[in-house]
Amino acid sequence: MLPILGRILILGSLGAAVAGAVLGFVAGRTLSLDGLKWARRCAWLYAALIVLAGVVMEVALLKHDFSVSYVAQVGSREVPTWVTVVSLWSSLEGSILFWGVILGIYIAVATYLTRGRYPEYQPDAIGVWLSTAAFFSFLIAAPANPFHTMPNPPLDGNGPNALLQNHVLMAIHPPFLYLGYVGMTIPFGFACAALLKGRLGHAVLKPLRESLMLPWIFQSIAIMLGGWWAYEVLGWGGYWAWDPVENASLLPWLTATAALHSIMVVERRGILKGWTVTLVQATFLLVILGTFMTRSGVFNSVHSFTQSAIGPTILVFLAAALLFSIALLAFRIDKLETEGRLEGTASREAMFLVNNLLFVLLTFTVLIGTVFPLIVEAMKGKQMSVGRPYFDSMVVPIGAALLFLLGVGPALPWGRATSDQTRKALLPPLIGAALFTLAGFALGVRSGWSLVTLAFGGYAAQVTIDQMFLPMMQRVKRGESAATAFVDGQLRRGRRRFGSYIVHGAVVVVIIAIAVSSSMRQTAERTFTKGQTHRVAGYDITLLGVDEREEPHRLSTIAHFTIVKNGKHIATLEPRMSQYPAMRDPIGSPDVYSTPIRDLYLSVANVDPVAQTATITIYIAPMVFWIWIGVIIMGIGGLIALVIPSVSEAPGRAVAAEHEIETVRPPPRPFAPARGDK
Amino acid sequence: MNRTVLFVGVIIAAALVVILFVGLGKDPSAIHSPLIDKPAPEFSLREVGTNKTVDLTQYRGKPLIINFWATWCGPCWEEHPSLVASARQLQPDVQFLGVVFQDKEEKILGFLNQRGTAYPTVVDEKGKTAIAYGVGGVPESYFLDAKGTIRAKFVGPMNGDIIQENLQKVLRQ
Repeated sequence: MLPILGRILILGSLGAAVAGAVLGFVAGRTLSLDGLKWARRCAWLYAALIVLAGVVMEVALLKHDFSVSYVAQVGSREVPTWVTVVSLWSSLEGSILFWGVILGIYIAVATYLTRGRYPEYQPDAIGVWLSTAAFFSFLIAAPANPFHTMPNPPLDGNGPNALLQNHVLMAIHPPFLYLGYVGMTIPFGFACAALLKGRLGHAVLKPLRESLMLPWIFQSIAIMLGGWWAYEVLGWGGYWAWDPVENASLLPWLTATAALHSIMVVERRGILKGWTVTLVQATFLLVILGTFMTRSGVFNSVHSFTQSAIGPTILVFLAAALLFSIALLAFRIDKLETEGRLEGTASREAMFLVNNLLFVLLTFTVLIGTVFPLIVEAMKGKQMSVGRPYFDSMVVPIGAALLFLLGVGPALPWGRATSDQTRKALLPPLIGAALFTLAGFALGVRSGWSLVTLAFGGYAAQVTIDQMFLPMMQRVKRGESAATAFVDGQLRRGRRRFGSYIVHGAVVVVIIAIAVSSSMRQTAERTFTKGQTHRVAGYDITLLGVDEREEPHRLSTIAHFTIVKNGKHIATLEPRMSQYPAMRDPIGSPDVYSTPIRDLYLSVANVDPVAQTATITIYIAPMVFWIWIGVIIMGIGGLIALVIPSVSEAPGRAVAAEHEIETVRPPPRPFAPARGDK
Repeated sequence: MNRTVLFVGVIIAAALVVILFVGLGKDPSAIHSPLIDKPAPEFSLREVGTNKTVDLTQYRGKPLIINFWATWCGPCWEEHPSLVASARQLQPDVQFLGVVFQDKEEKILGFLNQRGTAYPTVVDEKGKTAIAYGVGGVPESYFLDAKGTIRAKFVGPMNGDIIQENLQKVLRQ
């Protein structure tokens, strides 16, 4: 019953998506309002059917209906309920269905929010969204069908991959990643629509920016959650391994970040239009590349799903999407007329340009490092992997340069500035740079790159705080009370600006935390017998004992440690080794005592419940905590910038509000009036 | 039409798609073991439930299949019937040997009593033999020729066909 219902819903969603895509593109050519109306209805129908299909799968999982092939594959009566719920995205077929569900929600919301507002762009945007949707519905309907009927349903199943059962972060990381990944379809639709129309007018910049910002927030948090999960679960004391699939999640994030900045240059100066749509398209294409990488079996990684026939199908879609995007760009990019020009090398827009080039350079660096093993294997037939040293030696300098720009860019005014203005803007933040560097040095930071990071970070921090509260300070100077100035200048009119600088501040925190935690990490390995104490970096670590705990879905051997510092008990840590029936290897789970200053991380290398001994790898790393917190603050900043300002918004009003701020520094030439679509 | 965009775009896209296409169909978990065509590392391990020691050299003269496994490993349960059936069919021309690591004596004996066996099983108590063979996880099987040279390695649960296929690599030498 459920398998048939599921298949009907998927086929229905495929039909709705195909019909809507055709209607959308036709309406885009004929400008038929009826066509647009029907395309919108198809979008809603698609969303409803695919979401229902997802619900049917969840019901099947929760009811342990093993007649559904996917449930037979990942279900188990013995796993906890939350594991059953998240099993939807624990394996290949389910994860594609989950992808479809998220895409359905995005398309429905985007169609609803843009209804009647961008009649010129909406039909083509819907066409692009539903074409993507049609492809994914096709995947679910044929090569990755999770709704096969099992002729002889088993009584019980193996349950999902043990790594997924091991930590609750696994319930959170994939949804965030999908919300980030899938959401990039929406700005892609707007960018393609703009190219099809041959115009990137001011009106479409707002939905383009906002639809890029929201998935960007999810993607940022997803990448952090992935790192956090690796840190809490994989037991090697790190959070980023330059694993091909980690890179796959980073690549679209890099281009999306670049695009969010270049959109601002389009808004302010009317330049970089073709470049911006290229970045938005590249973001979507990198998302599809990432989807291919995880699901084709080409790359080996903790994230890989098993090999399957859907790899080639996704590759065909990737090739088609590449072809479509390149053809659109080649035929239309020259139509996106430039309205201004780049003024002066020491201007904010010039810094934006350098920032964009660095982001693209970083994207290529990571992309090449990721696919290089494939090139070598294809040409020489030898297996190899590109390890940390390549990525670290390439990414650290580019990252440092970006951090430098994060300080210098916002300090410089838009347009041409006199050398006196430039000096006035650039010199004071050197105080921040000096303070951070000295503080770091005093606290024991000695690595060269870390000190450089601290200097750039200090510089950027001062600029960021300065810029963040500039609108409020101006109002206070004009005699407004601090409270009204804050509410009015920061939260209402300057909200987008305020949010953006919160993101910048958080990025400074995250980059410094990454630099310091990785350069100052200490590692030790100690073997304990019961009752024995080792002192490591000021922590007295004592093994209380080793015991075994049998749960329905796993057998864990747990080493219990008590941690004493300066004679005071501060924590009990229980790193463990778990055996899951369906896995080839036992899985270690580290335990972490995390504080804002430093983390103490214990990971089991060997544990023996009979002899009551345990060999533990101990990692002590400062500031790791701030990586997670920093990214969450980035997300909050992004949300503040995203949420529509409460002042009634005439087109270009938010920008106008910022003009008001900028006029404090006398601009060399008057700003062009807000550009609207005619 | 902008020819530069078209040209650069097509080159990047074509390169990417070609590389990914070539990469399709290969098995990323198939790591070429450096031990293939090298003499198998020697070991001498105690047979489970006895004090008898089994030495690798005693099996010289006929092909040997060494199967690393453990009772806590689900895929090992899955492949066990195929191993026993193949052993019954192929022995004594081909020898089978089970090596258990990271496990407990009583669990191994319970497993074998319940599910039956047709060949000796030894215990790799400290896991040193598994390390010498570069075992990444269980089950993992090594196919040795009559002179004690490793000719093939298989990662994951085997069935009769897989056993035959890898055995052919040994016999072909």
